[in-house]
Amino acid sequence: MSEMSRESLLEVVRRVYEEQDPPAEDLVPRMQAAAAFADSDLDLELMLLVERSTELVGARGGTAYTLRFVHGETDLLLRVAVEGELSRVDGWIVPPEPMTVRAIPGEQPRSHDTLVSDGGRFVLTDLPVGQIQIRLEPHDLERPAFATPTFDL
Amino acid sequence: MYHAGDPSLFGVVIMTENRLGADRRMTNTGTTRPTTHRDGGQRPGEVWGEATSAFNRWLEGESAGLDDLVAVMTPVLWHVVRAYRLPQEAAEDVVQTTWLALVRRRASIADPAAVGGWLTTTARREAWRVSGASSKTMPVADEDLAPRLPDQKSAESIAVEHDTKHRLWAAVEGLPERCRRLLRVVAFENRPDYARLATDLDMPVGSIGPTRGRCLAKLRVALAQTGEF
Repeated sequence: MSEMSRESLLEVVRRVYEEQDPPAEDLVPRMQAAAAFADSDLDLELMLLVERSTELVGARGGTAYTLRFVHGETDLLLRVAVEGELSRVDGWIVPPEPMTVRAIPGEQPRSHDTLVSDGGRFVLTDLPVGQIQIRLEPHDLERPAFATPTFDL
Repeated sequence: MYHAGDPSLFGVVIMTENRLGADRRMTNTGTTRPTTHRDGGQRPGEVWGEATSAFNRWLEGESAGLDDLVAVMTPVLWHVVRAYRLPQEAAEDVVQTTWLALVRRRASIADPAAVGGWLTTTARREAWRVSGASSKTMPVADEDLAPRLPDQKSAESIAVEHDTKHRLWAAVEGLPERCRRLLRVVAFENRPDYARLATDLDMPVGSIGPTRGRCLAKLRVALAQTGEF
């Protein structure tokens, strides 16, 4: 009898299960729809802007201001610092929870993503000035994703 | 989903193996197979590479990248999750939860090359959680699998017809349950995390490697007994 290698045995296992217990025909399109929906802004809940500080002009010509948004029990504080064509956003989420933060510039397809620290802090740097939306996506899938309204940096 | 279109593939693998003989193990079965179709039949290495490039395209802002990633990895996730004895609907829910987790937690995947492993690990964790929760109310999940499995009688009658595919199925199906689950996960994953597998299969972590070896040996013997080897 010939000795089958480990790889060829695992190949048999793969083939057998692909043949005998394949996923449903429409599983891929259904999963594509579910993922695309989660990735879209269709089910986002909007945060409410409750405070905006007056703009402060820094010594070197840059500007800075703070924004505060709320949604349910969650408070989002943002400090925006603009320096030339780029800006930096320091954020603080209260109460803190594991989340992905995505800054979505108006005209760019690519978002700037970061994670919230245990203390609820996050930083986004090198954001282009102009319109932007900040999305908060809780890692707890039971929680809805929410987002600020679009605002100008 | 399986449309490699060539049941003869089993035959190709086996014939090649026989030609090579006992001492020269086959190292490149992939050359006998088309590489363009994506749902099933790919070698794991190809799947992981495609997953990484699709993930990168998605992060660059191309939504088709997410579509492609889902198309490449959903069949892999299905097989890994089904090794947890979940019925179809529960298994599909676990796969869907895995995709939602990816969308929500994308920023926690530091290395795009690891996205395939991240997905299978997330799916296994969720499958383990769900199967643990449901085992209290569903003592035996095997009956859910039953309609998809050939029964003993048909396996025998098909063996008489020298149907290679069904003989291979019968050989795999005849393995102890723990072997079937372990081999199914190992076959579809790239580098499964042994510590996690040990927890899932309720085995000491040091015994996963030896158990896998014994399971492969049992399968080798079972395949030999089909008379095809």
